[in-house]
Amino acid sequence: MANSNLPRRIIKETQRLLSEPAPGISASPSEENMRYFNVMILGPTQSPYEGGVFKLELFLPEEYPMAAPKVRFLTKIYHPNIDKLGRICLDILKDKWSPALQIRTVLLSIQALLSAPNPDDPLSENIAKHWKSNEAEAVETAKEWTRLYASGV
Amino acid sequence: MGKNKVTDELLSTVRSIVDSGYSDMDIIRALHMTNNDVTAAINIIFDTPSFKLKERPPAFRKNPQILSSEVGNLKQNGVQKSNCTLGTEGNGSSCPSNSGDDVVEEVAVARCESSAGSQWWFVGSGEVSGLSTCKGRRLRPGDEVDFTFPTKSSSTSPSPGKVFGRGRQAAACSEIVRFSTKDSGEIGRIPKEWARCLLPLVRDKKVRIEGHCKSAPDVLSIMDTILLSISVYINSSMFLKQNKTSLKAANNSTDETVVHPLPTLFRLLGLSPFKKAEFTPSDLYTRKRPLDPKDSFGLCAPELRANKPKIPGQNGDEVENEESISDADLENIVGIGDSSELEEMDPPGTLQCELRPYQKQALHWMIQLEKGHCMDEGAMTLHPCWEAYHLADKYAGPFAYRRDRVIYLNAFSGDATTEFPSTLQMARGGILADAMGLGKTIMTISLLLTHSGHGLSVSYPTSQSSSEDIEVPDISDHSSDLPKKVPKFSGFDKLLKQKNTVEDGGCLIICPMTLLGQWKAEIETHAKPGSLSVYVHYGQSRPKDAKILAQSDVVITTYGVLASEYSAENPKENGGLYSVSWFRVVLDEAHTIKSSKSQISIAAAALVAGRRWCLTGTPIQNNLEDVYSLLRFLRVEPWGNWAWWNKLIQKPFEEGDERGLKLVQSILKPIMLRRTKFSTDREGRPILVLPPADIQVIYCELTEAEKDFYEALFKRSKVKFDQFVEQGRVLHNYASILELLLRLRQCCDHPFLVMSRGDTQDFSDLDKLARRFLKGKQNSVEGEAKDLPSRAYVQEVVEEIRKGEQGECPICLEAFEDAVLTPCAHRLCRECLLASWRNSSSGLCPVCRKTISKQDLITAPTESRFQVDVEKNWVESSKVVILLRELESLRSSGTKSIVFSQWTAFLDLLQIPLSRSNIPFLRLDGTLNQQQREKVLKQFSEDSDIQVLLMSLKAGGVGINLTAASNAFVLDPWWNPAVEEQAVMRIHRIGQTKRVMIKRFIVKGTVEERMEAVQARKQRLISGALTDQEVRTARIEELKMLFT
Repeated sequence: MANSNLPRRIIKETQRLLSEPAPGISASPSEENMRYFNVMILGPTQSPYEGGVFKLELFLPEEYPMAAPKVRFLTKIYHPNIDKLGRICLDILKDKWSPALQIRTVLLSIQALLSAPNPDDPLSENIAKHWKSNEAEAVETAKEWTRLYASGV
Repeated sequence: MGKNKVTDELLSTVRSIVDSGYSDMDIIRALHMTNNDVTAAINIIFDTPSFKLKERPPAFRKNPQILSSEVGNLKQNGVQKSNCTLGTEGNGSSCPSNSGDDVVEEVAVARCESSAGSQWWFVGSGEVSGLSTCKGRRLRPGDEVDFTFPTKSSSTSPSPGKVFGRGRQAAACSEIVRFSTKDSGEIGRIPKEWARCLLPLVRDKKVRIEGHCKSAPDVLSIMDTILLSISVYINSSMFLKQNKTSLKAANNSTDETVVHPLPTLFRLLGLSPFKKAEFTPSDLYTRKRPLDPKDSFGLCAPELRANKPKIPGQNGDEVENEESISDADLENIVGIGDSSELEEMDPPGTLQCELRPYQKQALHWMIQLEKGHCMDEGAMTLHPCWEAYHLADKYAGPFAYRRDRVIYLNAFSGDATTEFPSTLQMARGGILADAMGLGKTIMTISLLLTHSGHGLSVSYPTSQSSSEDIEVPDISDHSSDLPKKVPKFSGFDKLLKQKNTVEDGGCLIICPMTLLGQWKAEIETHAKPGSLSVYVHYGQSRPKDAKILAQSDVVITTYGVLASEYSAENPKENGGLYSVSWFRVVLDEAHTIKSSKSQISIAAAALVAGRRWCLTGTPIQNNLEDVYSLLRFLRVEPWGNWAWWNKLIQKPFEEGDERGLKLVQSILKPIMLRRTKFSTDREGRPILVLPPADIQVIYCELTEAEKDFYEALFKRSKVKFDQFVEQGRVLHNYASILELLLRLRQCCDHPFLVMSRGDTQDFSDLDKLARRFLKGKQNSVEGEAKDLPSRAYVQEVVEEIRKGEQGECPICLEAFEDAVLTPCAHRLCRECLLASWRNSSSGLCPVCRKTISKQDLITAPTESRFQVDVEKNWVESSKVVILLRELESLRSSGTKSIVFSQWTAFLDLLQIPLSRSNIPFLRLDGTLNQQQREKVLKQFSEDSDIQVLLMSLKAGGVGINLTAASNAFVLDPWWNPAVEEQAVMRIHRIGQTKRVMIKRFIVKGTVEERMEAVQARKQRLISGALTDQEVRTARIEELKMLFT
């Protein structure tokens, strides 16, 4: 039912995501609900997350593309801008959303966030503190978590 | 005729004495002034300096030194006014200058030499009852009195000539003319009526007065009556060319009551014209113009519509009289005379076709009008707007011959002249207003053949006509509503200006561009080869040389060329058309010049010609005012003067005073010939038998899908309209509302049209677009400049658009639909962009987040005018379905059809189904140039395979002969039914042999149906049945009607 009134834009985005996936990113819609996407992002090289495969869920609300998609990490991740529930602190998912952005651009932004954590605008206070006080140690923890939670499928 | 013979003899007698420098006209005029007294006439010729104005500027022949010294004196003293104190004639003593430089009552004295005659002409004396303003002073009969006139600067504008005006009270004190004696000082004042007419005249030094006491009480007390005798002298210099300043009220207010001071003064002095004007302003007010009860134009306009309520499309009935409605109105306005009694005249043998009897009547009528009065008689007949006065001043000739001086006054303009204004200055020509399809062109060609002005004419004194009866009106200043500079009998400047026009030409025909080829073709077909040389004056390479223009018997040109050769600012820059003194000018589709302020109208009126014709089937298209422009072109005086027209015709008409209408009818009656297809001849038979025409309205039903679309659009439009109504700003948003209506009307044709983009016109030029971006960049300050796109980026975007690269909207990811460009040079669908904003007027650019507002958006141009791919997604609208069905059923009949629409976009669309159905068609619209048009029309007439001509209503509106077709489909109603009618009547006219079928398409239950009702209302507006306020209300009502 829900799929039948799927806006053309969503269909088009989906097709393109499937046919020309962005490097290190895969997103596929759920069978039951075409607005729900299962996402996997490879940890960027030269980041504490390298080698990890991070699962996310992405949901396109009714108002999309006038409202931002809802994205959450399912895989546990040690990152100052991502809390323990997997919620992401990223401006384009909040007030900086623009309808000219797409699923692909959102996921690429998230991938970039993994490369460049921003402890000055934290979501997870503890991790951010850790990152600021002892970055080397924090990075180690992140690597540790990646090994622990994000390796394998 | 016997009288004329005598004149001829007299003429030759006079001619044998005066030198050859005087034309026949001069002599005839002189004879007229002296009642055919030869001696007197010769005296006048020798003595009157202005008699031979043509060759040289007039100078007083005798005593030029005296004259100049006098002028010098006058100039020295020339301040505001003159105060002359000469009691008796021939005194010659000058009065001392009053040194009291009082601001309010500044006084200047002009030296007066009343008896010298050449400077001041004695007009006459009158008795004035002055009122004493003093007490105890003494005044004896015979005492000279000085008059003191208030200065211009003394108060708000005094209102000379303004009898009932708003400023009356305020102005009254500044209009007081006081008189005094040297001994006693101020004695009293003269009555207002005298003061009012004297004031402007004295102030402009056109007139001076002298006065003395006739009787007064021994001892004066306030308000006593003092009888004064005053003598009025008129300054002869104002009859000189350079002093042409008219005698009209200096204050050319827009006040309706224009009273000219000089005629008033003459009346107060008890002067009566020895020749009265045939008609005068006061006549026009009071006299009920006799109306022949036989005339069919008795109905007055307001009743017209009211009695004819029109219930639009209550059922699917044929609306049979639809096409005659505007005709009927027209006839009620302009009147339609019974012309069946006109004489016929056979065309010359050079016309290679038979004229029908009514066409021969037209020829006779035109020839008669061109003749005007018989030349001799005409030259000696006073123009009906002028009256002649004898002055008391006697002219002392060299043989001690004394005669009366004669002055001519124009009762309408207040102009005065010593030159005899003859009827030769009147219009020669008229309006041939036969309804469409009666062959106005062929009638005109027969007129051209009868008198071409180039040697062919036998009975025509062409040389005289071209030198005598031409006036160059000064209409450059027409924009002012004032009588000041509107065309008039500028007997003075006409001679000056005429120097520019050197070549005597033949006939000039001015027509819309569409008819250029047709005129040429028709002349070539109907005139015997060699009888008329025709030259088409058109195109970039047209010669500037007047000689070439003057050589041809007939020059055909367009209104566009005419307007481009006319220069309002500088007559010297006028093109070749203005360097020829035309024998005859014919305006085809003369309603083209209907708006009198348009360049075209002004340009047409400025042409120099001896004979003037207007051809039009619709002398009035929207407004009675349309007639004004024609009358101005034709030189029908005084109606070429806007003030008079407005005051006596336009205003009364608009106010529902039927006299305005009756007056216009009586003006038009002698100069307009109008027959319609329903006119009958002497025996009561129709003058023209055309095959019958079936006129039907086809009421279409929208399909379900169309209806949904229409309803949605309608609701949206209505919401906007209701907002305007709520705000009380309906008329302020007239344009927006018309735009809303336009969309709805287009939707009735085909929903695709609404998706078509009407608003790209302004920015269709891509370079302009680029410039606008880049300009914005230059203008901005440094900080902001960063936000603007780089030049390279803009150019890339523009290039992309130019190449027609599709691209996609970053929001919907589809091909752009109605793309807009942001100032930051991002392209998005309008809809998508606006939807992304929280408020409707501004928001962020979704691409770069720059804040932009709605008015910054530019509609991006595209190749296709449709937002959707119409070919691929082609759907037939219900109108198209019906049209195709109709055309299909006509396919076997072999008849041709014309399909009219107002929107070329709809014609674009129609090409798709026509091609798919293999119906061969051609297309004619405003984008074609002249050659292309001619080619299309020729092919349509000759190629039997072509069955359909798609035509835009506007392009088809004029003159084109489309009798090859016998069916017409009018796909959408136009606001003005006259336009529709005119287009359709292109097929129902002379030459049509088949039965004509006309089908108008109306979609039921839509704005189209309501437009029919509005059309009927508009007729009322046209008929002038409503006042200004009512018009305003009516407009709103009208719009509300459309949105119900």
